[in-house]
Amino acid sequence: MPTVVVMDVSLSMTRPVSLESSEEFQRKNLAVHGLTMLFEHMAANYRLEFTSLVAFSSLWELLVPFTRDYNTLQEALSNLEDYDKTCIESALNGVSNVVQQEWGSSCPCQVVLVTDGSLGIGKGSLRHSLQTLKQRADDKKFPLPFPFPTKMFIMCVANSEELQTTDAMDNLEELLRLSGGDGQIFTMEGQLCLKSVQAMFGRLIDQAYSPFHAVLHCGNLSSDVQVFPRPEPVVVDDEVDPMPRVVNTEAEDVSTGAAEEPEEEVSASQMAGKSPNFCVLLHGSLKVEGMVALVQLGPDWYGMLYSQADSKKKSNLMMSLFEPGPEPLPWLGKVAHLGPISEAAENPYGEDDSKSPFPVQPSIKRSYAQNVTVWIKASGLQTDVQKILRNARKLPEKTQTFYKELNRLRKAALAFGFRELLKGVGDLLERECTLLPDSAHPDAAFQLSHAAKQLRLASAGDSQYAAFDQNIAPMHTDFSS
Amino acid sequence: MKMFSVAHKTAFVVDHCPYMAESSRQQVECDVLTKSRAQGVIPLAPVSKSLWTCAVECSMEYCRILYDVYPLNKLINYIVSDSEFHILNTWRQEDQSTHELMSALAAVGPPNPREDPECCSVLHGLVAAVESLCKLTELQHEQRTVLMDTAERVANRGRIICLTNAKSDTHVRMLEDCIQETLMDQNKLAAGSDRLMAIQQCELVLVHIFPMGEDALVSDRPKKEISPLLTSEVHSVRAGRHLATKLNILVQQHFDLASTTITNIPMKVRQRLCGPQPVQLGFWMICFIEPPMGNVGVTEVQDNSGLKETVTLKWCTPRTNSVELHYCTGAYRISPTDVNSRPSSCLTNFLLNGRSVLLEQPRKSGSKVISHMLSSHGGEIFLHVLNSTRSTLEDPPSISEGCGGRVTDYRITDFGEFMRENRLTPVAETAPNPGGRFPADRAKAQLERYTRYWPMIISQTTIFNMQAVVPLANLIVKEALSEEDVLTCQKTVYNLVDMERKNDPLPISTVGSRGKGPKRDEQYRIMWNELETLVKTHAAGSERHQRVLDCIVACRSKPPEEEERKKRGRKREDREERPDKNGTKEPEDRAWQDSERLKGALEKEEQESEVIKDSPDSPEPLNKKPRLAIEEVQPSEKAKGPVSLLALWTNRITVANSRKHQEFAGRTSSVNNKAELYQHLKDDNGWVKVTC
Repeated sequence: MPTVVVMDVSLSMTRPVSLESSEEFQRKNLAVHGLTMLFEHMAANYRLEFTSLVAFSSLWELLVPFTRDYNTLQEALSNLEDYDKTCIESALNGVSNVVQQEWGSSCPCQVVLVTDGSLGIGKGSLRHSLQTLKQRADDKKFPLPFPFPTKMFIMCVANSEELQTTDAMDNLEELLRLSGGDGQIFTMEGQLCLKSVQAMFGRLIDQAYSPFHAVLHCGNLSSDVQVFPRPEPVVVDDEVDPMPRVVNTEAEDVSTGAAEEPEEEVSASQMAGKSPNFCVLLHGSLKVEGMVALVQLGPDWYGMLYSQADSKKKSNLMMSLFEPGPEPLPWLGKVAHLGPISEAAENPYGEDDSKSPFPVQPSIKRSYAQNVTVWIKASGLQTDVQKILRNARKLPEKTQTFYKELNRLRKAALAFGFRELLKGVGDLLERECTLLPDSAHPDAAFQLSHAAKQLRLASAGDSQYAAFDQNIAPMHTDFSS
Repeated sequence: MKMFSVAHKTAFVVDHCPYMAESSRQQVECDVLTKSRAQGVIPLAPVSKSLWTCAVECSMEYCRILYDVYPLNKLINYIVSDSEFHILNTWRQEDQSTHELMSALAAVGPPNPREDPECCSVLHGLVAAVESLCKLTELQHEQRTVLMDTAERVANRGRIICLTNAKSDTHVRMLEDCIQETLMDQNKLAAGSDRLMAIQQCELVLVHIFPMGEDALVSDRPKKEISPLLTSEVHSVRAGRHLATKLNILVQQHFDLASTTITNIPMKVRQRLCGPQPVQLGFWMICFIEPPMGNVGVTEVQDNSGLKETVTLKWCTPRTNSVELHYCTGAYRISPTDVNSRPSSCLTNFLLNGRSVLLEQPRKSGSKVISHMLSSHGGEIFLHVLNSTRSTLEDPPSISEGCGGRVTDYRITDFGEFMRENRLTPVAETAPNPGGRFPADRAKAQLERYTRYWPMIISQTTIFNMQAVVPLANLIVKEALSEEDVLTCQKTVYNLVDMERKNDPLPISTVGSRGKGPKRDEQYRIMWNELETLVKTHAAGSERHQRVLDCIVACRSKPPEEEERKKRGRKREDREERPDKNGTKEPEDRAWQDSERLKGALEKEEQESEVIKDSPDSPEPLNKKPRLAIEEVQPSEKAKGPVSLLALWTNRITVANSRKHQEFAGRTSSVNNKAELYQHLKDDNGWVKVTC
C-alpha cells in the first residue's frame, strides 16, 4: 500500500539537540536520518511500493509525487528548507488531496507523519483544530478520517517525557483516534541522538514495513514468495470473531478452472537463481492454459493466482485476495465443497473442455429472473390484465399463453387477497365472450366462459377453487368430429 | 454490518383483522380500452385494493428487494394476526423466498369482514413475533456450536415491522408496552432454555396504514428508546403508493442499501427496452461506498423523502471483448426498483444472457471514468466496482527477472495437464464425505499424491518424457488401485524391460551434458532409478502400490551381485582419492558413479539440474574430438550462460521425434552427430569413425 511521508519543516524542527559531542544536530537532521533509513529499507525490501513526500509548515507542498524511485526521495530529503509554524490540519488536507488524486478513495494508504511534538500555536495549531472540531461548516471539515482506509504512524522526534509536559501527546492520540485508530505513535527513548532515532524508525519498520514472506504450496511442490503489497490481517466481525485473523505464512494452492478479477501481487524475490522455481512453472502453465489457481491463505480465507500481464512483454504471477469467508464468490459455491474432478462420475468439464460446472446457480432464482408479479404501480396491473385480454381475443390459437397469464394473475391475486380483481377479470372475460365476432372459433367462447367461471369461483374464496398451487386448466373441448 | 445485527432477523407482523378488509380507496383502472374498441362497450368499474392487499404487496416488495440483495442470513419471519396468530414461515433458509410466502398468504386469504372485531387484534401477532425472535436461526445455532465456550458472543437482535391500522396514539403505546412486557417474559424463559436465546435488542417499526381521504389517527414518531431492550418508531402512512414508498425507504435504511440510476442508455438499446423516451433505471444494492473506519463525521446524504441520494451512472457502450479482465475491487448484488417494468426486464435479460454493461461515473470536474460494470454470474446480476484510478500494481516486474526465471525447460505443458486433472468441481453439500473430510481436503490430498515426485524441468526427468511410462505414471498416483490397474502397471514395466532388451533408445536429455551423454545401459539405469523413485513414494499407499514397486525391483536389470560389486568399486574409488581425469578409469564404473549420484539426488528431490548437466566429472569422451567441434555445439554451456534458442529447439525436436519413432541407436549416443560404430571393437584394438 502506498505511503505518504509528511515531514514537518517548521522552525521548531531546527531546534538543536543538546549533545555533549562536538557536532551539533538539529531535530530535523535526526528526522532526515530516520527517514533515510526508512527509504533505504524500502528500496531494498519494498521496491514495488509507491511513496511520496509532503513537507509542511503553515502551508504544505508535495515535494515528491508517488514514486518507486527512492533516490528522488532521498534527494528531496537532503534539500529541505525551513519554514514557519506547524499546522497539521493543512498538511492533512494536503495528504487527503494527494492520495485521492492519485489512488482514489478506496486504496488503503499509510501516512508517516514526522514531527517534533511542538504542534503549533494559536489558530492552525493542532490544539486549536481539535478544539473547534465540532463547530465546522461542511466545507471546512477536519480532514480526518480520510475517505480512504488509513494507517497513521506519527513519528515524534522528541521523547515522551518532553511530550508529556504539554498536551502534545493527548492531542496526537486524539489525532490517531480520529484517523480511525489504525496506527501508532512512536516517540524516542532516552537521549535524542542518531542511535535513538534509528531505534524509533526501526520499530516503525518492524511494525509496518516488514516484508511479507510466504511459502506457496501445491502438494509437495513449493516455492518461497514475497507478496507485494503485504496482505493485512482482517477483522472479520467484531462480534463473533473478535480476533483479527492473522495471515498464515503457509499458503495452499489448489487448481481450478474459473476466471475472475485481480487485486494484489506476488513477486519472486530478486535472486538470479537458475534453479527451477515452482512459481515460474505455475505462472507459465496458468498463462498457457488460461486458468487461475485457487489459493488458501488461512482458514476461510481464499484468493486466486493467475498470470497478469502489464505489457505485452512482462507478465507476473498475481494473487487476488477475496473477502474472508467460506464462500467468497457465490458463483463458485462454498470453497470447502469444491472437490477433485476425479471423484465425479464423469468429467464435469467434458472430455473436450466444452463445458464447466461453474457458475453455480443459486437454489432460488432472483426476482428479476423469475417473472414475479408486482402491482404496486397501477401500470403493472394494467399490463397484466391487458396481456390476458390480448390473448383472449386470439383464442383458440393462444390458449396456452392465455392460461399461463391468467394463472399468473390468479396466483398473485390470491396471495395479495385481491379477490375484487379476480371477479373483475372474470367480468372482463365474460364481456369479451359477448364481443366475439361471428367468425370466431366456437372454442374461444367455451374457453372464455370457462375461465371466467373459474375466476369467479376463486374470488368467492372457496378453498376448492382458491388454492394457490392449483392452476386453471384449459377446458377440454373436441371439435374434430 | 455485524453478522447478528438487528438486520439478521426481521419479523413482519401484518394485521389480518376485519378492518383491514376495508378499501384503500385508491382505485385502479384495469380495463384500459383501446380506441378501436371503445364504442358501445361499458368499461369495467375500477377496482380498489383493500388495506390488507396494500400491506401484503408492499411487504412482499420489501422481501423481494431483501432476498435479491441478501439471499443469505437476512431472514424474515412472516406473521399474520387476527383472532389468533398465523406464522407463515420459519427462520430456516429454505423458507426464505417470496414464492413460499405468497403461497402461505394465499392460504390465509383476505381478512374476513364478518369476524368479531372484539376478539381480533394485532397483539397476538406481536407476541408471536417476540417469541419467534427468541428462536435460534440456523446461523446462530451454527456459530454457537462453533464458538462453544464463547457462545455468549453470539448476539440475538431483531426487528419487528408491524403493518396495522391502529386506533390512536394511546393504542400504539399499549402495543409498545405489551411488546416490552413480552420481551421481559420471553427473556426470562430463554435464560433457562438451550433452544431459545434472550433478545438483546429489538427494534419495533410500527406502520399505521389508513385509507386515502381519511385523517391519520396516529402521529408519526421518530425512533425512541422505550427500554434498553426496545426502541420504537411509528410511521403513519396512507395505503397505496405512499405505503410502497415508505417500505422502500425502510428496506433501504434497514439494510444499508444504496440506490443507483443508470442513464444514457444508448438509442439502439433504449428503443429495444422501451421506445424512444429517455430511460432511467433504478437499482437497489448493498451500500458499497463504505464509510471509512471510525465512521466519524460521515453523514448520509438524504433528500427530502428520506431516500439516500441515488448514484447516477452512465451507460457506456458495452464492449464485445468480454475476455478482458478488469481490475475489480468488489461485486454487489442488485435488485431492480421496478422489477417487471419493460426497461428493467429488458436490461436484466440482456445481462442474464451473458452480456455485460460498463458504466461511467460523472465526476464533479466534468471528466468521466468507467467505474462500474453490470454483469451476471450464474443467474445473479452483480454490480462490479472497477478500479478507476491509478493502480498500485502498475508495472510489475517480469517473472523472468525473479528466481528460476532464466530456466527455460519447464514442463509447462505437463503442468497444464496436471492442473486440468486437478481441477475442482462443486460437490453437493449433501454428498457423503468419506472419512469426514471436506471435498476441498480431498482435493488437497490428491494434489499431495500427484506431486510426490514431479520434476519441474524436462532435463531433470526421463520417465515423464517417455510415452511408454504414461499408463503407470497416471495410475500410480491414484489413492486406490484396482487389480486391473496393477496389471496395467506391470505390463508397463514388462514393456520397459522389453525395450531395454531390444536396446531401444531413451529420450534422455543431452542438453547441457558435455560429450555424448550416458551410454544406453546407463540411460536405462537412470530411467529405472527414476521410475523406482516415483513408485516408492506411493508404495506405502496400499498393498497393490507395493506390488507395483516389487514388480519394478524384480524386473529391472540390476543383478544384486553386480550392485554389490559396484558398491565395492565405489568405496574403493573413494579411498583412492580422485583418479586422474584422463579417462584411465573404466568408463562403465564412472558412469555408474554418476548414476548413483543421480539416484540419490532424485530421492532427495534435489532440484539442482546441474547434477546431470554440469557435473565436472561426467564422462568425457574417451576419444577426444577436436575441441573446436565441441565448442560449436555447446558454446553457451561453456560460457555458463543461458541455453541458446537453437539448443532448446533442437532438444525439443529431438524429444518430440524420439517419441514418434525408434531412434537410430547411433544417433542417441552420438556426439556432434557423429556416432561410433562397432564400439565393442575399441576394447580390442581400434575404432572406426563414421559421420552420419
